[in-house]
Amino acid sequence: MDSRDKRPNFFIREIPFIVLLVFWVIYAGIEIIRSRFDLLTSIIPTGLFIVAWVVRRLMYKEGKGKG
Amino acid sequence: MDTFLALEIIALALTGLLIWHSASTRGAAFTWMFFLGGAFLGVIRENVIAQVAALNLYSYNPATFHLWAGAAPLILMVFWSYTIYLALTFSEVIAGGDLIGGKRSVWIILLSMVFMASYACLNEAFASIYTMVLWKFKPALTIWGGTPAMVLWGYGGMALIFLPVLLVVYKLRVRTVYRVMIFCASAVVMIPLHLLWIAVFRLATSAIS
Repeated sequence: MDSRDKRPNFFIREIPFIVLLVFWVIYAGIEIIRSRFDLLTSIIPTGLFIVAWVVRRLMYKEGKGKG
Repeated sequence: MDTFLALEIIALALTGLLIWHSASTRGAAFTWMFFLGGAFLGVIRENVIAQVAALNLYSYNPATFHLWAGAAPLILMVFWSYTIYLALTFSEVIAGGDLIGGKRSVWIILLSMVFMASYACLNEAFASIYTMVLWKFKPALTIWGGTPAMVLWGYGGMALIFLPVLLVVYKLRVRTVYRVMIFCASAVVMIPLHLLWIAVFRLATSAIS
């Protein structure tokens, strides 16, 4: 059976989200620890993608619920 | 342990997770093509840029990176793969499409370009903390940390070139091993295309300075 024929579990499906979130937190954390507050706005664009992912997942869940 | 070495190891480990995700959701053929092709592209491109002085772009700071593949840090073997993979997957989820399946492919590629430019903001601002890159020219426009604004255009252009080439090669009616080899070899086309893409931006912004 092809690996795409069966739906992967929740953890596997959300791996890209987890990976980006980890990078995002590390980068933000180091900027804060090193007092580089001038750089903090640079994480906003990627943060918007993280939010958009969550919103899309919630929309999908709601849509599925309404059936 | 040095903080930056820890970051290099974390990035390699997180790429392993993305490879697992790709193999589980997209299949082995796609995964081999994407990540092996991305590794070829990364190592060759970054070595060319670091070694060919005539390009006048940048080199990597030997004091920052620990693991090397020639004149390029080893992390560049996975850097373009994981950033473009994140761009592709986020774009597919947000746009509700499927690049390989042909559902909203154009939107996915355009959104991937925006994602890559966003990631450039995050990564290049961070790069200025550790002085990861030594720029060889004085940029006309800069973003956070004095990084040339060119990087936003450059990151976006990488998605614009990489994803359509991947799509074309993936659709070839040949055995997987040949598709993987063809995609790896296509790095010699993608690299000059990307350098041309960057040159267009530099030419356009040179008038400002």
